[in-house]
Amino acid sequence: MPQKIVPITRLNKFFGAEDFSLDVGMGKEWLHGDMNFTLVLYRVDKTKTNNDDIYGEATQDSIKFHPPIEFKGLVQVSPPENKFLGNSKLDQMEPGNIRISVYQSHLDELGIEIEFGDYIGYYETEKRVRYYSVANDGRVVSDNKHTYAGYKPFYRTIVAVPVNQNEFRGL
Amino acid sequence: MGIGKKIKKNINLEPQLFGPYRRQELYDKINEGGTYLPKSILHEDLDRGFLDFIKNELPVVVDGKKVPVVDILITTQNWAQFTQTWNLNDLDKNVSLPIITTVRTPEVKYGSLPSLQYTIPNRRQLFYAMVPTWNDGIKSFDVYTIPQPVPVDIKYSIKIVCNRMRELNAFSKVVIEKFSSRQSYTVVKGHYIPIIMDDIQDESVTEIEKRKFYIQSYSFTLMGFLMDENEFKVSPAVARSINLYESEVPSRPNPKPKAIPQNIKNIVFDINYLPSQSSTTKVFEYSQNISLLSSENITSYEVYINNFLYGQNIFNQPDVVIQLNTNDILEIKIVQTNVSLNSNLSFKSNLI
Repeated sequence: MPQKIVPITRLNKFFGAEDFSLDVGMGKEWLHGDMNFTLVLYRVDKTKTNNDDIYGEATQDSIKFHPPIEFKGLVQVSPPENKFLGNSKLDQMEPGNIRISVYQSHLDELGIEIEFGDYIGYYETEKRVRYYSVANDGRVVSDNKHTYAGYKPFYRTIVAVPVNQNEFRGL
Repeated sequence: MGIGKKIKKNINLEPQLFGPYRRQELYDKINEGGTYLPKSILHEDLDRGFLDFIKNELPVVVDGKKVPVVDILITTQNWAQFTQTWNLNDLDKNVSLPIITTVRTPEVKYGSLPSLQYTIPNRRQLFYAMVPTWNDGIKSFDVYTIPQPVPVDIKYSIKIVCNRMRELNAFSKVVIEKFSSRQSYTVVKGHYIPIIMDDIQDESVTEIEKRKFYIQSYSFTLMGFLMDENEFKVSPAVARSINLYESEVPSRPNPKPKAIPQNIKNIVFDINYLPSQSSTTKVFEYSQNISLLSSENITSYEVYINNFLYGQNIFNQPDVVIQLNTNDILEIKIVQTNVSLNSNLSFKSNLI
């Protein structure tokens, strides 16, 4: 059954699909060309991952993932917090979450979908990579913030939390 | 074919002691490798004993790997330094999970150990041991005394931090099995110190946009006691000594040996009674047989030997002889015919 397509005509007196495409294109050129924040997506292969039958937990190095894919986005890393590890009185610097804003069209071009539980690697230096687990995949974009002046949603905000090495450590 | 019931299937190669022998074994263990006095037990000794208990008695193995235990108490000072040197750090120099840590409640309260509560007031010194010494050629003893140990309750929390439920299960199994009888024991310098499990709490971090991990806290009370060796006392007991005196008093001659009478046959002796006298006694130095020769002014008589009645008028029958042994007491009670006159009994004796 063919999908029903409804043209968006709001704001059409001074803004239309061509303007929207132009602005998104300019934004992507700035983000991908000038900023060029590159991340690596490790999509969990839920069928091949050897997980626990009762708790659904995977042991170290038993998480199987699809081939890693590089993608680009706007990266904001929250500052670390110096705090106890829970109530254990273990004092440590807890790394902050990562917030990634990514164009939906970019994901569509790569043919990928970022989901809860996927892992994202972000190279802080040439040798040091930190892995995050997606805690909010930003799938719901039905708000004004994620639309271009109310015209159409065009990007997603993904929040990921740092993971321990014994949970995931990349390739 | 079945095995007979009387056949031992398991032979204990290390026989277990019971009763006073077991107490002596515990006593020897406390004093092992040291002086006759027990060793001090202070807060740090109890803490070390508890950490050893966790390390040795609560091992947790998950996926073939032993969950590491932080071998120090988490205090306000040492953790930061410790993480710099520990080999279980991640790229942030934070501790890798899973891990088991121990947190001690800083305050130490007066103990609830029933055997030590308020039983002996004022830190009175009590006898512990008497130890032989050799001082300037004189053998003597030292008396060791110690005050009653002070009971203390120290509360600990063992926290397992991990990110898998199976790790929680493994630790829970070990702890609950170990404390299935509510308490277990750690050994501190030879003393068995009871540990009681109090409570289990979940402190896991489950917020969505935070790093997630499990923390479960197991609370324990160590019912220990404090013994400070500075309060032990060693004092000399009464020593054996040689006292020499010089005196001008001449020494007393030795008593002469008892003379043996020359005549041992037909010895005649009398027992006399004054008027109105009814009884008299005589102690015999030698064993002898006596017989009555004659009596005067006596109607009847009773013979007692060593306060036992021997007979009445027993010498009236012919050829009656009584044997008396050395130190026997002969008592003869008489009834006088005329109470205004003297009475007399005359006996013949033959020494034997």
